Amino acid sequence: MDKLIRNLAVATLAVFAVGAAWALVQQLVKTATLQSLSGNDISVEQALLVAQGALDACKKDNPTVTVAVVDHEGDVRFLLRGDGASPEMVDAARRKAYTARTFRQATSAWLERTEMDAKDDAGKRIDLYGQRMLDGVIAEKGGIPLLWHADAIGGVGVSGSKSGETDEACAKAGADAIADQLF
Amino acid sequence: MSRISLVLTAATIAGALAAASGAAQGQTTSSLTSAQAMAALRAVQAYAKNDGTDPSLAVIDRDGNIVLELRGNGAAPHNIGLAERKAFTANTFKMKSIEWRDKTMPGKPDADQRNTPKAIPLGGGVPIVVGNEVVGAVGVSGTKGGQEGDTAGAQAGADAAAAAASSRPVAQN
Repeated sequence: MDKLIRNLAVATLAVFAVGAAWALVQQLVKTATLQSLSGNDISVEQALLVAQGALDACKKDNPTVTVAVVDHEGDVRFLLRGDGASPEMVDAARRKAYTARTFRQATSAWLERTEMDAKDDAGKRIDLYGQRMLDGVIAEKGGIPLLWHADAIGGVGVSGSKSGETDEACAKAGADAIADQLF
Repeated sequence: MSRISLVLTAATIAGALAAASGAAQGQTTSSLTSAQAMAALRAVQAYAKNDGTDPSLAVIDRDGNIVLELRGNGAAPHNIGLAERKAFTANTFKMKSIEWRDKTMPGKPDADQRNTPKAIPLGGGVPIVVGNEVVGAVGVSGTKGGQEGDTAGAQAGADAAAAAASSRPVAQN
């Protein structure tokens, strides 16, 4: 009799244990399949810091520059046209930021990689010139990616300073302004 | 020739030259500075903080060109483009976009104005008025309180931009 009760108790516990385990598995599967993507992105606050950093670095030698900050998707988060800047500078700043974001590198580096006769380390032609034909990009210096771990989660573009080199130096100063927040 | 007629001739030539150079002179218009646009941004952000929202906004100059653009955290995809169109509407029709919406309701004499490309009959665009002149506009999208709320936010921005106006000419690139 005692043995029978014990066996019954063990059987009941086993049924509960299996049921609980199955419920847990179902819950895990449900969570896994319904989970949405989450990622890091450049906020309004960070975008303003980046833009301010770029403008501060630029203003000594260049009174009016245009700066654009794009987010993870390459969309404009913040844009400020310099006083007296021509309309195409707004477009150029935006496209520099977009190009740096989407190719995850400074536009000066991307320019070198996409030159007609660019070669890899082994001396073989890499022929990425076609990338310059994509919509929204621009083959000009002055764009810097905003990097988080190995990924670019945004970009900053500057136009209207003395040269492409100074544009890019200003953009770099903007990216550096939030470097301590992104590591 | 007497001295008087010489002087008169010289004066006439000088007058004609002055008139000619006057005719060829370009018009001088006041421009919206980046500092004014930033003042608008800070005012809209202060309004939004009170409001507990994170709106998008656009500041445009009198020609309709963008001076400043900001997309709020977590904004819906339409917000930024809508903010710009509200600003465009307020600037080009020189009135709040919510007033223009009411003025152009279907059945009213000005209803056809709604066919203007880029203009949008939604509240949230407010002109920046310096003196008696519209020098640009602020458009806001994404506050609490719908079109009235967006209009109040944009008004705060436009007031701040007007207050930050300077008589100093803007350097051209």
